[in-house]
Amino acid sequence: MQLITMMPETRNEKRETRSKILLPDIQFIKRVKKESNSDLKACMQCGNCTVVCNLSPEENPFPRKEMIWAAWGQKGMLIADPDIWLCHQCGDCTSNCPRGVKPGNVLASLRSQTIEYYANPSFLVKWLKKWWMLPVTVTIPMIIIHLILIIAGTLTITPDPVNYSAMFPHALLNSSFSILALLMIVGIVFSIRSFWKGMVKGYRLSGFEPESQSSVKERSPIKSGMTEKATSIIKTIWQVKKELLAHKKFKDCETNKFRHLAHAMVFYGFVALIVVTLFAILSAILGNYPMPFLNPVKIVGNLAGLSIVVGLLILIFQRLIKKDAVSSSNFFDWSFLISILLLVITGFFTEYARLVNDHLGYYWYLFHLIIMWYVILYLPYTKFGHMVYRFVAMVFVIQTGRK
Amino acid sequence: MQQKHVLVIGGGISGMTTAIEIAEVGHEALLVESKPYIGGKVVQFSQYFPKLCPPQCGLEINFNRIRNNSRVKILTSARVNSMEGSKGNFKVQIMKKAELINSKCTACGKCADVCPVERDNTFNYGLDKNKAAYLPHEMSFPFSYTIDESACLRNECKKCLDVCEYDAINLDAREELIEKTFHSIVYSTGWEPYDAGEIALLNYGNHPDIITNVEFERYAAANGPTAGHIIKPSDQSAPKTIVFIQCAGSRDEKHLSYCSSVCCSASLKHALIASEKLKQVKILIFYIDLRVSGRNEDFLKQVEEDENVELIKGKAGKININNNKLFVEAEDILSGIKTKTESDLVVLATGIQPSLLNSKLPKDDYGFLLNDKLPEGIFASACASKPLDVSASLKDATAISLKAIQN
Repeated sequence: MQLITMMPETRNEKRETRSKILLPDIQFIKRVKKESNSDLKACMQCGNCTVVCNLSPEENPFPRKEMIWAAWGQKGMLIADPDIWLCHQCGDCTSNCPRGVKPGNVLASLRSQTIEYYANPSFLVKWLKKWWMLPVTVTIPMIIIHLILIIAGTLTITPDPVNYSAMFPHALLNSSFSILALLMIVGIVFSIRSFWKGMVKGYRLSGFEPESQSSVKERSPIKSGMTEKATSIIKTIWQVKKELLAHKKFKDCETNKFRHLAHAMVFYGFVALIVVTLFAILSAILGNYPMPFLNPVKIVGNLAGLSIVVGLLILIFQRLIKKDAVSSSNFFDWSFLISILLLVITGFFTEYARLVNDHLGYYWYLFHLIIMWYVILYLPYTKFGHMVYRFVAMVFVIQTGRK
Repeated sequence: MQQKHVLVIGGGISGMTTAIEIAEVGHEALLVESKPYIGGKVVQFSQYFPKLCPPQCGLEINFNRIRNNSRVKILTSARVNSMEGSKGNFKVQIMKKAELINSKCTACGKCADVCPVERDNTFNYGLDKNKAAYLPHEMSFPFSYTIDESACLRNECKKCLDVCEYDAINLDAREELIEKTFHSIVYSTGWEPYDAGEIALLNYGNHPDIITNVEFERYAAANGPTAGHIIKPSDQSAPKTIVFIQCAGSRDEKHLSYCSSVCCSASLKHALIASEKLKQVKILIFYIDLRVSGRNEDFLKQVEEDENVELIKGKAGKININNNKLFVEAEDILSGIKTKTESDLVVLATGIQPSLLNSKLPKDDYGFLLNDKLPEGIFASACASKPLDVSASLKDATAISLKAIQN
């Protein structure tokens, strides 16, 4: 008999150190049930979800433990749980669940609640999660942009041929967006700081992990195999960045192969657009702007936009046809997908209008900028935040010797 | 007393019990069985609860009760074709298969010796082969050879005809339609093991060393394909590790969404049998919950004390075949560790599925007959109405026999 993972004695020891008294958060249970469209209490804790998940680690795997924490209303443990961010929501667990309790959906709901919990200010997340708050959340970037245009005195100028920089001068554009990006980064830093603190606290409270970092190494069998070099945080960040860029984890999903492709299209599209934007700023400063249609940078930009649109359409289509099978979708999911789709589509319309000299382009451009502000300003508070939270959670997981 | 005539469909242990009980209080019973022998699933067990004796002794008592009571008639290799009428007056057509070997057979076995055709031995769930002319098992009742119609070459061969000294073989025999009237009807149609091939992740059928619990019973039985030796079917060697996977398909919406209630006890029994027979063996039982009730709980203690057996809470949802080796994957829930266990032999505890899935009679969501909704005069007993173990089945069968004559 060969147990590849761990000897029975070690497991027995672990079993004994895992008991404690818990108090349920009833409101939290109700909310998870509603958001995930799952009958949480029907979960019989068989662990089939854990077995079929190719991303779940060997020690303290997910999502079985999250299912019982959720059913028992253990919000504190769940928002401090980095494991929910290791899930890429491919739906393997949901489609194989013998009780139909949709662990994948439950984890999605937990992630959305984690973003809400750590966001600073957190009311922004609450607003962004409600469709009827949309007028308010859209009005904020609208007002800011109009204020900038009024200050620049270009609100009514519509020169012919179409020249967007006449409407929104580059200096203003770049500086206002730099401030915007700074605001966003401040928001992220605050959120992530409390997220990291929460995870550290949860890690210490998890019952079977010792108090100080040094003793972790002595007791954890996985940790002891790691070298000092591998625990350096810079190394870890580099490793996680490589992993996320390669989209490696996504490929392990079995139920939903298209998801990997679609997500990769959107993700790489975004990466390409960020690079293109840097070039564009550079060329605007050097005075050669807008770039000709056949400029390589411009071609890459257009292809990247196309890739995002196609990827998004696949994701949206899958959510529409698969509904409950793999993921339940609420406003939090939809607003994220649709805002990005609108962002890219209005970008294309703006470009097209300039090429054919259609004055409607000014309106498209305005629309495009408003959505741009919406997406970037609210990044830490919408589903967009998953990027940052996942990154940080993966760094944390490696730092604590999970993988 | 007005004698009532009851039709009992299915000659397993419950059908036999119902028929005998009815006859012993003075009424008449006809037991119809589709196989060439009676005794059903119980004769295929190596041992059965509660006393863990081989089925032979219990069956022998029942066979004797049948022999000694002229009011029980049995009709093997026969199926109910149609029925009409109502309580007190059911007109039933029974199709008796062609009787290629009749009651003159003395079970001398010469026909099987000369028979050139081999067939899957259905008594052993196809784990080995036997001849087209065969004795289903050494305690067959009626004790007679039989010929598998679908395998027999009939008049192209005729070898058995030449060696039979008792004029017991007639290869031209035709099926026969029997019409009878009954006062009431009891369905004792029993169960079939759930088809483990439906559970894709368990890879049943893709590797010879993945077997089901009913197949394990045959390997463990002295009259089984290996004369009671527990082996790895792939190379006939003794397994060093055996993994039992509980709820293979049971308690699963996509397969059997109910608990069959008997598989846990059965696997515990199997583990003890294997531990005793093999001595040097590591046995792991992966379970969701150990549903061992009543007196079987003492049995669980016995298993827990066995040094060869480890009970692990966690559903083994996946068997990986890698390099022709079997790896069972599960989360050991009590320690929170994902385990991957290499195993020589894997036994899937498949659940009880009612045999009468296609009948038009009123059924519950899972296909078990609903006694409350059946037409007056028709009853379902034991595993036709719910998953039960042998002793509970017998209690149910006895109760139903009373209903069948008192209505």
